Amino acid sequence: MNIHTYEKLWLIAAMVLIVGFIATITYGSVGLGITMVGDQQDTVEPTELDDERFSDPRVAQVGENEYEAYVTAQMFSFQPDPIEVPEDSEVTFYVTSRDVIHSFSLVGTNVNTMVIPGEVAEMTVEFDEPQDYGVVCNEYCGPNHHNMEGMVHVVPEDEFDLTELDAEAPDEVETGDDIDVTATVENRLLDPIETTVTLEIGNETVSEDVTIDGGETDETTFTVDSAQLGEGDHEWTVTVDEHTDSWTVTVVDELEDGDADDDADDESNENTDAGDDTDGGENGTEDETDTDETESDASGGDDE
Amino acid sequence: MRISKGALLIVIAFIAPLIVELRTVLAWVNVELTLLESAVLGIGLIGVILVWALWPQEGTSESAG
Amino acid sequence: MTNTYIESFPAEAKVVRAAFYSSFLALAIGGLFGIIQTLHRTGYYRFMDSADYYTVLTAHGVLLAITFTIFFLVGVFTWATTTSLDRPVEDIRFTWAWYGLMVLGTVLTAIPIFAGFTDSEMSASVLFTFYAPLQGHPLFYFGLVLFVVGTWLAGVDWFRSWWAWKQEHPDERIPLPTFMVLTTTLMWYIATLGVAAAILLFLLPWSLGLVESVNPLLTRTLFWFFGHPVVYFWLMPAYMMWYVLLPKISGGKLFSDPLARVVFVLFLILSVPTGIHHQYLDPGIAEGFKFIAMTNTMFLLLPSLLTAFTVVASMEHGARQRGGTGYLGWLKALPWRDPVFAGMALAGLMFAAAGFSGMINAGMNINYLVHNTFWVVGHFHLTVGTAVALTFMAVTYWFLPQVTGKALWSRSVALGQVVLWFVGMTFMSNAMHRGGLLGIPRRTAEPQYEGFEFEAAVGSVGELDAQIALGGALLTLSLVLFFANVVGTALNSRSDDLPANEYADTLSGPSDAPLVLDNLKLWTAIAIVLVIFAYSFPLLSIIERGGLFGPELTELPVSIGLGLEYLWVTTVSTVTAAGETAITIIAGVSS
Ligand code: HEM
Ligand SMILES: [Cu+2]
Ligand SMILES: [Cu+2]
Repeated sequence: MNIHTYEKLWLIAAMVLIVGFIATITYGSVGLGITMVGDQQDTVEPTELDDERFSDPRVAQVGENEYEAYVTAQMFSFQPDPIEVPEDSEVTFYVTSRDVIHSFSLVGTNVNTMVIPGEVAEMTVEFDEPQDYGVVCNEYCGPNHHNMEGMVHVVPEDEFDLTELDAEAPDEVETGDDIDVTATVENRLLDPIETTVTLEIGNETVSEDVTIDGGETDETTFTVDSAQLGEGDHEWTVTVDEHTDSWTVTVVDELEDGDADDDADDESNENTDAGDDTDGGENGTEDETDTDETESDASGGDDE
Repeated sequence: MRISKGALLIVIAFIAPLIVELRTVLAWVNVELTLLESAVLGIGLIGVILVWALWPQEGTSESAG
Repeated sequence: MTNTYIESFPAEAKVVRAAFYSSFLALAIGGLFGIIQTLHRTGYYRFMDSADYYTVLTAHGVLLAITFTIFFLVGVFTWATTTSLDRPVEDIRFTWAWYGLMVLGTVLTAIPIFAGFTDSEMSASVLFTFYAPLQGHPLFYFGLVLFVVGTWLAGVDWFRSWWAWKQEHPDERIPLPTFMVLTTTLMWYIATLGVAAAILLFLLPWSLGLVESVNPLLTRTLFWFFGHPVVYFWLMPAYMMWYVLLPKISGGKLFSDPLARVVFVLFLILSVPTGIHHQYLDPGIAEGFKFIAMTNTMFLLLPSLLTAFTVVASMEHGARQRGGTGYLGWLKALPWRDPVFAGMALAGLMFAAAGFSGMINAGMNINYLVHNTFWVVGHFHLTVGTAVALTFMAVTYWFLPQVTGKALWSRSVALGQVVLWFVGMTFMSNAMHRGGLLGIPRRTAEPQYEGFEFEAAVGSVGELDAQIALGGALLTLSLVLFFANVVGTALNSRSDDLPANEYADTLSGPSDAPLVLDNLKLWTAIAIVLVIFAYSFPLLSIIERGGLFGPELTELPVSIGLGLEYLWVTTVSTVTAAGETAITIIAGVSS
């Protein structure tokens, strides 16, 4: 075959270019360690997702600065949302879909993967500075695809925790009985945390400092005298850092109706004492009777 | 005319990607052109090309057009 | 007495004309949808519900990427075989039959897509990639199959012509245009096996309810087995035009026949084993397979780079024949006023730009940054949307007189049209690329989010949107001019003064090309081996992991049905949740 000289030169240049590209990409993989989303993970059943990662999508700490994020994508949301991780951390995302193909893509970064039902995408990312990243689904997944978004918050070290709070109290008690509010606080970090568990009920605030070891769960029980609360619905809220849990307890008096509560307002017990006790001290509260008695309003803790 | 009308049209068309990409490229070196500046630059360039193309060539004095 | 195609092959000219008109119809509707999308996405004008956006996008994708391109291709290829072999098709009824099948397939596919706009149960808003578990109406898949079978038969037609010709010319080299047709057809046969398997084995039975579920990764991989080479199926007729028509129009000869053959052989053997580069970010496919696809893809740059050389060299030769001189001065001597030439040259120029963004896409680990962003849309509007579409439109100005026997309505309008396309696409595609780098996703009706905003490094997202809308408007205007010319030409009366039906000679002819280049069996065998090498392990591993029919899936026909189902599921779960809460409360009260 008769090839013109210029053509030969061009051919050589083209080959050099091609080999150069391949070398660049190989350097990216081997030298810089940019790995591809691959087949490291076993398959899952998309409609069940009952393994311990995806039945509870969340962020988990696995090492000093290492975290794993178990994320599910479904029409038309991500779970968890937002995803919170600390600065200077290395986070491995495990992402799967409950229904169709989606993507999990951090806007403006190269954190980007397809999310295919049955497959688990694994991607390790290093986050430095605190910053908020938008997450989009960039694969068409149905008529509301454009509404599928999420957030990744990279927060300062000291604002980060992996605390799970779950508080429980009876829904209804008889006047005179104690109300036990139990706050279960799980510290999913590896290191211990010191924090304060606070209960607000009626006008009363009770709190207790706790120290929870890494991976441990602490139970704090606050006991409230229902008589002091008085009859009616009372909202309560348990707070640990910025986590809250709340519900309503109803105090009923089957024997007498109406005014069993008048006296409650005079005495506001010092809950702070109770807070010192390590295991769920007792405490007093004050009512906030919404039903009758104008006087109870007046007493409603403006002196606190 | 230094070039044919057809060639002139193509050259002018070719200004579009030049200007559009110039703005992108300059941004890399932290020179940020506004839309207006790019438009003015583009129109200016087209003007220069028109003048160049339509300027009577030496020797062929009055034959432009 | 002229020497046009229609004079020499009146019967074939009718089929070619029909194929062209079919493709233009698809272009018209698809183009209309293009501007609708542009205005909707950017927020300039939204008259429909955003859910309908995806129906529009499905139609835009199918009509332009499949219907427009392939109808034009069969027209060009039929012209190329008949002209270069200088013989009519073997049986014109057979030719009409495959054309008819393609039309039928298109219509059947279009019905469920367009039904998506109505209240009917039927729909197929699954986009042209139809990734399961999104499910379209069975008719959608069935229509696609018929369409592909139509193209297979078209291939048979071209092969028949060649076989018959070979009997009479046993010792001659395959004429270059026919060689290009045959290699491309072989590539197409191999490539379409993937999509045929995906549809016939899995998607169609699944949409009919015959099988419970599918393996989404498997059907997706089979799609891309086809989805990458289809890119070359669009591109090969454009390349053919650059090789055999452009040199002629520039006034010269094709630089090298052997190199042209090498290029098409390379496309035959390298097009298919690269499809996994569309799945760089897919979980479930090992990195090694992605790496192989990446290297193959990079080598696939070679034929395109060679084409760039040959095309430019041929143009230069043409220019010098026309009296051009100097290092770059010869450029002035090219026939820029000829819309056929100008259009092809501009298309080639844009293809060079597309090459750059393509290399970014192909770079496995760089792909993270751009995958499925608007960047990709910018990229393929340069490739298929310009290199291919603009070349097709430009050569239409040459073909129309050939297949109608009528003079072109207006050459000036035609020149304006190709220039407008170039300028419009510059604006649109530049902004799409830049938007993609900011993370703006593709295939999204409203890329405006509640929790965050895209941050533009230069200018603003608003500016990008404006640029896209401006580009889209210019493109639409360009299309209007194009159709004005097509219709105007059709309404003209027959002319006696038309260019002859000829294509370019070569400077270095086929005798310089080693005989082995014409050994189609050999190249096909190599192509198959490479495909087996690149695909058997990934496919086996996907099947081993996820099963042939995949995990249990929630069925998700994308239709009004989906809306209802979604509503249904949400209602049911809300009611259940409310009920549960009620029960807890009641239980609490009574205890
Ligand atoms: C008037 C001219 C055109 C305009 C304004 C236009 C506009 C658009 C826009 C805005 C999108 C992106 C939609 C999205 O991702 O949300 C798109 C997608 C697309 N366009 Fe065009 N386009 C035009 C012409 C063409 C041509 C000529 C072709 C091919 C021959 C083409 C092929 C495609 C394809 C294949 C897609 C992707 C569809 C998908 O993602 O499923 N377009 N077009
Ligand atoms: Cu989506
Ligand atoms: Cu590809």
